[in-house]
Amino acid sequence: MACKFISNEDITLWLEALAKDHVVFVPVDDCGSVTFRPLAEGRKPVLDRVPVRSPKEAVFPQNETLLLYKYEKDLEDPEHSTVRIKETLPKERAVVFGTRPCGARGMTVFDRVFDNERIRDPYYATRRENTLFITLACNKVESTCFCHEVGSGPADTAGSDVLLTPVQGGYTAEAVTERGGQMLEASVFADGGNKCAEAEEVKKATREMLGEAHDYSDAPEKLLAVFDDDEFWEEQAAGCISCGACTYLCPTCYCFNITDEATGTTGKRLRTWDTCMSFQYTLEGSGHNPRSTKAKRLKNRVNHKFSYYPDTYEKNIACCGCGRCIKSCPASVDIRAIVKAAQARGAKKESK
Amino acid sequence: MQALAELKEQIRQALPDLDVVIGWQQGFDALHTRPLFIRSEEDIDKLVVNEFCVVNPASYLRELRGGKKVGLVLKGCDSRSVIELLQEDLLKEEDLTIFGFGCNGILNHTKLQARFGELGFIQSIENDGANVTVVVGDNKETVPFTELCADKCLTCVYPNTLQCSHFVGEESTKKPESEKNKALEEFEKLSLEERFAFWQDQMRRCIRCYACRNACPMCVCKDHCIANSREPKWLSEEVDVQNNFMFQLIHVMHLTGRCVECGECERACPMDIPIMLLRRKMAGVIRDVFAYNAGTNAEDTPPLMCFKVEEPTIEERH
Amino acid sequence: MSGSSGLLAEGQDLRIVGFLCNWCSYGGADTAGVARFEQPTDLRVIRVPCSGRIDPLFIARALMSGADGVLVSGCHPRDCHYAEGNFYARRRFEMLKQFLSVTGIDPERFHYTWVSASEGQRWQDVVTSFTERIHKLGPAPKMSGGTGYDEECLKEIAAAVSCGEQCPCHKEKA
Repeated sequence: MACKFISNEDITLWLEALAKDHVVFVPVDDCGSVTFRPLAEGRKPVLDRVPVRSPKEAVFPQNETLLLYKYEKDLEDPEHSTVRIKETLPKERAVVFGTRPCGARGMTVFDRVFDNERIRDPYYATRRENTLFITLACNKVESTCFCHEVGSGPADTAGSDVLLTPVQGGYTAEAVTERGGQMLEASVFADGGNKCAEAEEVKKATREMLGEAHDYSDAPEKLLAVFDDDEFWEEQAAGCISCGACTYLCPTCYCFNITDEATGTTGKRLRTWDTCMSFQYTLEGSGHNPRSTKAKRLKNRVNHKFSYYPDTYEKNIACCGCGRCIKSCPASVDIRAIVKAAQARGAKKESK
Repeated sequence: MQALAELKEQIRQALPDLDVVIGWQQGFDALHTRPLFIRSEEDIDKLVVNEFCVVNPASYLRELRGGKKVGLVLKGCDSRSVIELLQEDLLKEEDLTIFGFGCNGILNHTKLQARFGELGFIQSIENDGANVTVVVGDNKETVPFTELCADKCLTCVYPNTLQCSHFVGEESTKKPESEKNKALEEFEKLSLEERFAFWQDQMRRCIRCYACRNACPMCVCKDHCIANSREPKWLSEEVDVQNNFMFQLIHVMHLTGRCVECGECERACPMDIPIMLLRRKMAGVIRDVFAYNAGTNAEDTPPLMCFKVEEPTIEERH
Repeated sequence: MSGSSGLLAEGQDLRIVGFLCNWCSYGGADTAGVARFEQPTDLRVIRVPCSGRIDPLFIARALMSGADGVLVSGCHPRDCHYAEGNFYARRRFEMLKQFLSVTGIDPERFHYTWVSASEGQRWQDVVTSFTERIHKLGPAPKMSGGTGYDEECLKEIAAAVSCGEQCPCHKEKA
């Protein structure tokens, strides 16, 4: 793969150039936590920390207006009214800069769901087409990182358009997609030369830091084997406080809610993130709730990522191993430990 | 903790009569503990008590109501939430067994992160009570404990578990660093416009995950919070500044005179929004007007659940 | 129309929400009306059974949703139709009143008082002086803006980000 080089100083120039015709999301220090925000003057990208929020927001925002509506009374016949509807498809072109490989890989989990042979979600698909991902390979690993265990890695290119790797004095850049290749034609890029070998070393070293990968390949069956094991799930969920931090920060969680938010005779149809950790998520109109306890809800989250999704989508795990759900969990619930425990318990059950 | 063995022994003896004992166990790395639910003898050995035991075990009580015999290992601050719940008749004293100890303060992950960067990169951390030594990469730094501990520890006057059935080790003689919370004092020096702008800015970061609510030991409505009700509709599903702040007001109002300032809401916030400013302010108003400290005496009646015909501390309104 | 302010054209109304108890203050306002006492027109009255029914969140919600002022009035203490509703209410309102400053909402925008059904004159004084006060304060600042990435929010986000270093959390760290 052709490899180019960009110096630390030129990164700013490049981003400013991109900002001319794109909304450029960069990780910034936003009152102490690092989040993706549009590039603003005097605002430096923070590239040595992993953003708390995931880059999915650029394509799948927390609030998305699907359409606007207005009721109009028929003056001749006051009992009837007509409704006018205006669709609001997203238009802006965007670049997400500085996401980690795990975050970019998260988009591939979305792609299979929102844009496949049977279904094409126009809002998602439009934004996805209009958004480029410039990903930053990792050169350090955290205690919560496990990308290597879910089929990814610290230099994974899945979901990205360009992959940058930190080297002495700057970054090497590789095009992953055709569109990414076009971006690298900008004059701020020099030939990679011997930097390319250095980048390969960085990638290798980071992968080694992660150590040996646990094998989750039999998780789908093992999780199903313990599906009815209430005691197991209650034990695993005991510490969970049933908030939505894990799902909202997750780069692969895509559940949403659709509501009409009205003021008087006008309103908007809104798509917002939803979380399977919430009691209301499965609450039925009758008042019955099939997932009435937090144990049942946590079981769903784990099973969805490691069992149902892989079963539906060619064994791909719906987890990118970024560790946000572990790191930001108020009760330090660890999804890795839960799946491992299920694998062990499932194996025990099968051998009986 | 030196008396850990003694504590484990006390739990071992009490366990046959209890359904569960809630404490802490080692989490996914050296900087994190997670709640431990002791149901059998072998669980007891997992118990740890250290400066990373940040979770308030009393937050799990609302799920265990209804005749379950529950044991709790509680810090002084945590024990106040139990007393408040007892006051409100939400728990029965005979169902509870509280294991107490002298707490010397806990560390705050947000402060650690602000100082040393991503917590996952910290290699080792040692706390001798007065100073904390942290190793990140090639750097080794020693910082006074008071700069890294939770804010509540700086003003703590209840370092020893209140109303406990068992107490292990020596009582903590820790004295508060200051009487009032510094962050709130600083905040109140700002003009009204600046405060408004501050919240406007902070609420923009909120993702409305409700971690603040769910971590709160006093939020007993659990799955039936008015924030999730569609009829009446207090909040829009839209996650915006106005709705996010309205939720904070809902939380504060429902905690008026009940909040024991355990700080779980702010600690749980994945975005590190300093929402304790609001809770501390309200608790301060309660103290000023009613000379009342929530969760310190099970015989008290919370101030908003009673009244005086003549209110000597409330100015007559005309 | 009494009160005027430099910010507002003469005759321009602000939005003031009034929560009045059914038995005393609503009657008092009625008495003032029957007696043809002149009153400002900014107030929108919501009648509630008792001041004890007024959840402080009603007031908070009104202030958050664009009210420039909120006026609450019930029976005088000891005079509550339900004997003790206003005693509980008094404590709640006082807590809210003293708390409000930390949110940056001016506590002066919220007033609670007591007016009996016979006090038409007093009602006129209360509503006139409160309206004047709100006109002096002018329109209330609004909490607004999204947190997502939709087009309309981008500008606000960029503005907020650029002033981010000015916010107290950054000041504290420095």
